[in-house]
Amino acid sequence: MTYRVHLENFEGPLDLLLYFIRRDEINIYDIPISNITEEFMIAIEDMKKLNINFAGDFVVMASTLMRIKSKMLLPRPELDEDDEIIDPRKELVDQLLNYSRFKEAAESLDIFASERSQVFPAGKKVIVSDSPEEVNVILRDVTLYDIANAFKAAMDNMPVIQVYELQREPIHLDEQKELVLRSFDGDGRLRFSTLINQLETKIAIVVTFLALLELIRSHQITIVQNELFGELEIQLLTAEA
Amino acid sequence: MTRKEQLHILEALLFASSEPLTQSRINLVFLEDAPQLINLIPELQDKFSKENRPLEIQEIAGGYQITTRVEYETWVRRLLNKSGKLTLSQAALETLAIIAYKQPVNRFDIEAIRGVDCSGVLKTILERSLIKIKGRDEGPGRPLLYATTDIFLEYFGLNRIADMPKLKEIIELTKSDTEDQLDAFIREPVQSSPDIDQPAESPSA
Repeated sequence: MTYRVHLENFEGPLDLLLYFIRRDEINIYDIPISNITEEFMIAIEDMKKLNINFAGDFVVMASTLMRIKSKMLLPRPELDEDDEIIDPRKELVDQLLNYSRFKEAAESLDIFASERSQVFPAGKKVIVSDSPEEVNVILRDVTLYDIANAFKAAMDNMPVIQVYELQREPIHLDEQKELVLRSFDGDGRLRFSTLINQLETKIAIVVTFLALLELIRSHQITIVQNELFGELEIQLLTAEA
Repeated sequence: MTRKEQLHILEALLFASSEPLTQSRINLVFLEDAPQLINLIPELQDKFSKENRPLEIQEIAGGYQITTRVEYETWVRRLLNKSGKLTLSQAALETLAIIAYKQPVNRFDIEAIRGVDCSGVLKTILERSLIKIKGRDEGPGRPLLYATTDIFLEYFGLNRIADMPKLKEIIELTKSDTEDQLDAFIREPVQSSPDIDQPAESPSA
């Protein structure tokens, strides 16, 4: 029978596995892979439900556990060069032991830091803060689980937004058509770049371009290009339009 | 210059120095006939304790530093409005521990030990100058190598990396590395106080 893990702030899949091992007083050299895989999968499901964006590392570990589990089911165990039976769990056990050593070292660093924080060196410029407490104190004893729960509650209570307000574009097609027609100089010719360069925003360029297309469609202007990739020239088709 | 004068100057320098005072700084300050810290410091430390001063001289990051004594923590904390809560995350502590023992070490080796992505936490502790980039590793991708800094030593109140608790297994693990610094670290006898020999059993403040 399994029961739910209270999801504390685990540092990763190895940390979670170490937690199972310590909690159930498991002999690390003889890990019941089947049980622990099951527990691990339940923990992953819980994380999914809580919308915790858990890292791919957990998925990788899940597949490692499954691989070990399936290897342990093989009728004939794998042998090494000396015909010794290879325990499929060995690699994982080594990894867990190695990690736990550095985790211990991290604990001693933590103690050093707190001892060091009890004394204050001379010569340091310390900024005296006006706020009585630091944020850390407020966040004391809050676990990832609490934060995830709070986030989920907030998401569940979020009102559903149904009304959207769209901003009316300040640029109008008709105005841009007039702008194009106004921009021609005396001889009824206008360089495309001259027209575009006087525009300031992307939307103005887009609408002006649409205006050009409209004007071409209504036979008020035409566009010519004298060479490949050359400058576009807009020509006014006068009178009869 | 009398020895008494030297002691007074040294105390003034310790008081004013923003980082742990080293012999090489002393040599620069005195121009000639610089006194040896290793001789003067014990005398000054004696003086401090005889006079029952609220200050003491600590060996930090290869130098010397005057600090307030632990008994006065509450008072100084009130002055500075410091809550005293530490700001390094578990992830940062684990990563720092790995770097401290295995330096110089690349990200992939750190991640292999922790079993999780470490790029974010590395960025954070780099920004806090607790670690530095110490060149590039050989091999595919030539990954960056990380090492601890003097700020790391100061943050944790250590004089040298060798003052880290001696975990036999960890030293076994790091033996394959060839870095000179590490060899020195393995050979050096570790003089740690009893409470850091067994960090797991010490109550964390």
